[in-house]
Amino acid sequence: MELSKALLGAILLGIAVQTTSCKKDKNLPTPANPNGTPVQVEENHDPCPACGLG
Amino acid sequence: MLSEARVEAIEWSFDALYKKNNIPPWFLELLHTYGKERRLIGHGIFFSLFSGRWSAEQEQWLRHLRQVATLYNFDHVTEHFGFMTGKDFHSGAPLSIPYTNSTLALGRDRLARIQDACGLPVGLENLAFSYTADDVKRHGDFLEQLVSPVNGFIILDLHNLYCQLHNFSLPFDDIVRLYPLQRVREIHISGGSWEPAKTSPGKKVRRDTHDNGVPAEVFELLKTAIDICPNLKYVVLEQLGSGLKTGISRQQFYKDFLQMQEIVAAKNSNADHLPYNTFLPAKLLLSHPLADEQLYTQQMELSNILETAACYEEALHALCTSSLANTAWEVERWEPYMLETAMNIAQKWKKKD
Repeated sequence: MELSKALLGAILLGIAVQTTSCKKDKNLPTPANPNGTPVQVEENHDPCPACGLG
Repeated sequence: MLSEARVEAIEWSFDALYKKNNIPPWFLELLHTYGKERRLIGHGIFFSLFSGRWSAEQEQWLRHLRQVATLYNFDHVTEHFGFMTGKDFHSGAPLSIPYTNSTLALGRDRLARIQDACGLPVGLENLAFSYTADDVKRHGDFLEQLVSPVNGFIILDLHNLYCQLHNFSLPFDDIVRLYPLQRVREIHISGGSWEPAKTSPGKKVRRDTHDNGVPAEVFELLKTAIDICPNLKYVVLEQLGSGLKTGISRQQFYKDFLQMQEIVAAKNSNADHLPYNTFLPAKLLLSHPLADEQLYTQQMELSNILETAACYEEALHALCTSSLANTAWEVERWEPYMLETAMNIAQKWKKKD
């Protein structure tokens, strides 16, 4: 399913630190922080139990 | 995969964000985007369908489901089979229960409440874990009896099935026919891990840990399963975030997704029918929540034994002198390596004090 460039840009901004598997589109908006401060990415230190409970 | 427009639908565990105070706006937008296209499905974890006692947390869980089902446009909602071993609502792992009239009635009651809360088709996922081969053989029929009053469906988790086949040396063809295949609306694939069993030297137990690539055998099961599940609508690849920390693991995940996508596309091009069951029930009548105090006591006792026993022998002795002895739980027949595995699972997911 096609996602908007704006949404893809926001996702890239949000998970920029972790994501490497996606093929980046050169036309996507460049991730940028509006006020210039470092992006705060909230880390979840608890292994996600959403799956893999086995 | 998102930027390449490969992801046709997403599954969201809507009850897994309880530790997060701030949900990123992009995540909510992603949910809305897929929901608007009816390509968002909900997958609960913590309802604990077979807990013997009806709890305030389950009431809250249903209220939360009612809210998120209003906010986001799910196509259906699912939960796991079993009860959570943890002492409180957000700890532990789902383990099996005896297949009795009492547990059947309890499960039907809870499933009807989930359907009432979301107003959507509801389904249950097959377990990765059993104590005996006989449990594996009876699981499909019990699932059918559970979901039929709500015209519910099954998630056929093929890696879960792969675990069961390996752990009990059972052939796929014999076991899969014991499942209500016409009720499979969703298939899961994933990877897992091998754990040596101290109680059975040389034997390795397969666990559904979702932290590795998808085995080739599971892809073969997928090719077969798609052909025999006439109401199949979704195929989902599951993976833990903690299993995607290296470049190699991320490449493997991407490769697995592509392989899944190729299989599904090939099957779609040859499909000669569309799913015919909407999995929506007739009007349901709910009465007071059922409870089974004896089952609840046994579950608490079992959870405590699994979470605290220092070794297999200690756990076995405790079980054989507990309220579960000589009951439908049939603890006397449990395979030693699966009791050992149940201890490992319960202690892995036990809430840290």
